[in-house]
Amino acid sequence: MATSETTIVRLQSNDNQVMDVDKAVAERSLLIKNMLEDLGDAAASEIIPIPNVTEPVLRKVIDWCEHHRGDPPASNEEESDTRKRTTEIEEWDQKFMQVDQEMLFEIILASNYLDIKPLLDVGCKTVANMIKGKSPEEIRKTFNITNDFTPEEEEQIRRENEWAEDR
Amino acid sequence: MSNYKRASQPGRSSILSTLQATTMLDTKPVLPAEILVSILDFLPVSDQISFAKTSRRMKEMVYDDTRWVSRLVSMGCWDEAEARRRFEEAIKRKREAAERANAAAAGATPLAAKRTTLFDAGQEEERRKKLAEEAARAPEMRVDGFETLSLHASTKNSQEDPTTILDIYKNVRSIRGYARQEYGKIYGALAPFYYDLAQAKSHTEPAVFKAFRDPEKQAQMLRNLQRFSQNDWAQGWNERGEVLTNMCNIFENAVLREFEQGYESWDVEGKMKRYAHVLHDLNGGNAAMDVFVSKHPILNSRDALGNPMDCINQAPEDGITLEPSRAFFKALAIKFNEQSAVISQIFPDAENVFWTLLDKVREDIIGEYITPILDESHDRNLEAYLKAASGLFEQCMAFVGSLDPPSKSKQSLETHAKDFGLKTFDLHLDLYLREELDFFTKYAEREVLNWEQKLSEQDASVESFYMGNFNRRAAKNDFLSSFKKVVMMPVTVLPTIPISSPFGSSKSTAAAASGGNVRNSITGMPVASQTTTPDVDGSLEPKTGPLPSEAPTDELKAKAALMANRLEGIKSLFSIEVALDLVGSAREGLGRIAVFIRLGGQAGEEAREQCEAIFITLLKILGQDHVKNGFVKAVDHLSKYKAREVSDHDQEGVAPLVTFIELVNVGDLISQMIDVFYEQQLAAPKISDRNDFLDPAGLAKKKWEQMLDESVAAGLNKGIDVLMDEVEYICATTQLPTDFNPPPASQEKGTQQDGGDMGPTQTAIRVKDLVASHTNMLVGSTEKTMLDVFNGEVGLRLFTAVCKHLKRQRISTEGAMKLIADMTLYYEYIRGLKNQDLLAYFKALRELSQIYLIDAKHAKEMATIIADGDRFGGIFRAEEVYEYAERRADWYQVKRNVERAMYGMDCSVM
Repeated sequence: MATSETTIVRLQSNDNQVMDVDKAVAERSLLIKNMLEDLGDAAASEIIPIPNVTEPVLRKVIDWCEHHRGDPPASNEEESDTRKRTTEIEEWDQKFMQVDQEMLFEIILASNYLDIKPLLDVGCKTVANMIKGKSPEEIRKTFNITNDFTPEEEEQIRRENEWAEDR
Repeated sequence: MSNYKRASQPGRSSILSTLQATTMLDTKPVLPAEILVSILDFLPVSDQISFAKTSRRMKEMVYDDTRWVSRLVSMGCWDEAEARRRFEEAIKRKREAAERANAAAAGATPLAAKRTTLFDAGQEEERRKKLAEEAARAPEMRVDGFETLSLHASTKNSQEDPTTILDIYKNVRSIRGYARQEYGKIYGALAPFYYDLAQAKSHTEPAVFKAFRDPEKQAQMLRNLQRFSQNDWAQGWNERGEVLTNMCNIFENAVLREFEQGYESWDVEGKMKRYAHVLHDLNGGNAAMDVFVSKHPILNSRDALGNPMDCINQAPEDGITLEPSRAFFKALAIKFNEQSAVISQIFPDAENVFWTLLDKVREDIIGEYITPILDESHDRNLEAYLKAASGLFEQCMAFVGSLDPPSKSKQSLETHAKDFGLKTFDLHLDLYLREELDFFTKYAEREVLNWEQKLSEQDASVESFYMGNFNRRAAKNDFLSSFKKVVMMPVTVLPTIPISSPFGSSKSTAAAASGGNVRNSITGMPVASQTTTPDVDGSLEPKTGPLPSEAPTDELKAKAALMANRLEGIKSLFSIEVALDLVGSAREGLGRIAVFIRLGGQAGEEAREQCEAIFITLLKILGQDHVKNGFVKAVDHLSKYKAREVSDHDQEGVAPLVTFIELVNVGDLISQMIDVFYEQQLAAPKISDRNDFLDPAGLAKKKWEQMLDESVAAGLNKGIDVLMDEVEYICATTQLPTDFNPPPASQEKGTQQDGGDMGPTQTAIRVKDLVASHTNMLVGSTEKTMLDVFNGEVGLRLFTAVCKHLKRQRISTEGAMKLIADMTLYYEYIRGLKNQDLLAYFKALRELSQIYLIDAKHAKEMATIIADGDRFGGIFRAEEVYEYAERRADWYQVKRNVERAMYGMDCSVM
């Protein structure tokens, strides 16, 4: 119960690496936060397994949490009515996200699993930027999508969306 | 710690293997659909479409209707209600089709063929219709798309169909499942311009300004683009938005300059009108309105309209005249209405501009005009201030009422008028309301105090004065009706102003109606009691015509003086003049405040409460300080009265009792005055709700009536004592022993002589007159029930007194005639009171008196009568009758026989 700042939690990646993390940092993850709350103080000394995340990714995620530990808690309620969320990525995050695509996707998946909404958003934005202006073929490559359209269908969809073909 | 080490070791060793495992498996991580969706959200529209082209699954994801609906919503062109209606229609159509299908299936076999074809046809038709619809939509869309594309490519043929682009939002339909198509139309039309503008470096570049030459169309397009930018939330939206806003500002400023140029040259029909419309198209035209209002020439004409100090300087000392202010408002209204015409020429939303200008005028001209008047008059004289505040307010409202706004909606004029009045008097209202109440309270207290001082100076010269000579009720009614006339007059703070004051006129008619009612009920009912007076609504009563408008104040004053003259005797206790004065002053204050009630809302409510407060104060001062004191004194006088110590009994009344009863009459008069006042000043104009039993004014009134009733009751109690004292005194002093027992010597002669003179004795007549005159005085002045109780009590006490008196007499058979006459006299009097219970007593008394008539020889019959309880209605028991029988002059001669007859005892027993 002492000072919550100094409390340490231990996370274990799926390859059995254990990391000591400040509780405040770890609690950026809602998954961990809720878990700790549910288990109470007893869990403080226990190792928390994070089975879906490998060590490098977990480290990366913790890095991000460390940097953003002081952020105000995101207004949890979806501001879906004001869809106009900022799509800009702050500079540190941009640098942070300069990783290969595989890592990027891993981070996104990890943040999704750990329930770290802001990180997930940053990841999605990065991906969005990545595929902006790309042709469908390039997008397929990026996301590993197989084209299952018949040529007629392809033609139809092209026709349907001529209005969006721009500049 | 150890735990940690143990755990970490195997992990470290296996890093390589795990890494290998991951690369070897080479499952390029595939993002789940939910994450793809959120990625899509961050993409610009064109990339979303690219995404859709990658695979069927992605297409489905992108085509999802909600995605496009939300974009339409963000631009404010999605109508959920419309969408639902369309959806329901579609469902209905489908259901009908299904029903038809069912019917066909259930139908008999011979008909089946026909039915199926029918059904097929229906479905076919529907499908065809749908296709046609889609087809119609598709080319339209295509046309749009191509057009804008070409438009973007070369601006030459941009004018081909510009109106579709300008009005693009109007043509958007809300259909579920087709949001993407609808969005496509908008996007196709506006996106090229939008992105083009976002890249523009200077205001000459954007294609918008090239494609559209008219400022009107440019404004419209800019507005469209601004709306369009609402759904741009892809990366870089804020830069784009900024560029757009800048562009709009540049455009707005340019147009505004043109407008101002037009303004300076007062080019109403030309430049001003045109550019006001352009600005309105762009962003509602607030900028033009601001310029127009802030530079308006009317604001500089304040000094020309009049000097506020005229109102004070032109008036007599310490007074105020509102004539100059009236002229001021009139001039202002004329000027303003001129502007109203100009405004509706220039501005598309003229009303808004009009009220804004009015607001400005209120601040700069009217506020500046009113404040000095009020401040100055407040410093100089309070009464003048009160008059000024109310009068200026009335003038203000009249001013707004006389305005001629561009669009003639009564509703808005009224609300604006309220708003206007509220804002104008916002600063002054609180002070005014407080001062009004203070003023009245002080005035009332001073009046009562003055009067009391004056009274104590002349003090004990209290001479009772009997006013039985004239018809009391007639006088009262006379007085009340002139009082009503005065009350019904609207408070004429502004006697010189001919403006139609709906308040004044409506009040006077309402008052006339209820006034007629009150008068009618007073004269119509023989025993008019205050509580029953105006309860009935005037709807059934024939309405009296509008009353003459000139104030019969003088008449009222004369009547008051007359009344006071007649009531000289009780002037020392409380004065109807004072009451009248207070009521009049309260009425003036109320009239002034009531003007503010129209404001409605909180201010109106406050004003209303203040009205009630004045009324309550009036009742409090009049009731507690004035009337109640009077009653207390009167009761005091009464209780000090001793019949035996007063030498002069020749007068017909008991002086303090008469005084008191007159007091009751005056109290009732005042109470009726208050009642009329309440009905007409508070209930009729809806200041106070007479059905709301928690209403403070109503409560105060009830309290006042209760106080009056209590005072009267307390006094009457004493009054009865005094009256009976007097009765007994008269009985004791004036009844001659020979009245009922004439000397036997003259017996033969006396009976013959008195044969024609069989009337009651002097004593009885005096007693009866005394009682009757006092009870009569109360008729109509107190509540009927109380009067009944009073009469009952008086009657009962009279009965006791008479019985007591009877037992002191000795009555011979000859005197019995006189006694019977006496008793009949009492009986007749009591019968006039219409009190059955009481009548029984006196009937018994009359019967009783007959036992004296029985000749001594008929002792047996006498005994039967004495024993006959029924004869006396149970009032006298046999023993009591026996006691009375003992008063016979010849009792000892008949006693034996009577007793024998009564108890059936014969001499044998003796």
